[in-house]
Amino acid sequence: MKAECDHAVDYLYQYIDQELTWSRRLRIRWHLQRCGRCLDAYEFESRLKARIKQCGNDQPPQELFDRIRALIEQEAAGNQDG
Amino acid sequence: MADTANFERDAMQYAPQLYSAALRMTRNPADAEDVVQETFLKAYRGYGTFKEGTNLKAWLYRILTNTYINRYRKQQRRPSEVELGELQDLYLFKRLGEESGAERSTEDSVLETMVDSDIKEALESLPEKFRMPVLLADVEEFSYKEIAEILDVPIGTVMSRLHRGRKALQKKLWSLAEQRGLTGPGK
Repeated sequence: MKAECDHAVDYLYQYIDQELTWSRRLRIRWHLQRCGRCLDAYEFESRLKARIKQCGNDQPPQELFDRIRALIEQEAAGNQDG
Repeated sequence: MADTANFERDAMQYAPQLYSAALRMTRNPADAEDVVQETFLKAYRGYGTFKEGTNLKAWLYRILTNTYINRYRKQQRRPSEVELGELQDLYLFKRLGEESGAERSTEDSVLETMVDSDIKEALESLPEKFRMPVLLADVEEFSYKEIAEILDVPIGTVMSRLHRGRKALQKKLWSLAEQRGLTGPGK
């Protein structure tokens, strides 16, 4: 089991990121179904990744949208004049 | 070729995400706003070169990244930009495992008690070279190939920086958890 655990750990993030070929993916999944410790690791890392994703939620101030729109309108008007 | 008349309709929806990413890059709201504003202006000017039907979000992130790097490159030459030390794989999971022995609960509860500001702080603590791939992969969920295009580096470089960046992030999360007393027996 040790070699398979090492293999699973080496490729765990590529597995979570869905970046593995079909055959490698299958080999990891096969191992995770049989190894509780690696499955725990997989679940932990997946949850951590999901938790990190939740942090991309800072709300910009409304003025930023207004300023961008104004800049674009200014730019568009400039293009028409020229 | 994309029509600038559609720019606002198509691109503005990404403004909140781009702002959030810019905030992780610059670590400062005023700078993040400047970077996003400049990104949209450049994107508007270059919209004619954007191929419609290709990945608009990735295209905008590429402009955002370049804008950030061009603006702040000089400031980034700091000692903290040196290489990260060697860390074991699954750093956080293993450290938590050592603390709790056979008990599974610590690993889960630390994730639950971690607050957004801890994770943001940990992300922002990473040297830029490692922060960008982690941000793009874990927060924005870009593929390795897209990240390689956004950062203009080979895909192998993306993978190694991502690997090392994630370990460093976990080490920082561990030290934050320790500071807050979230680890240790009975926790």
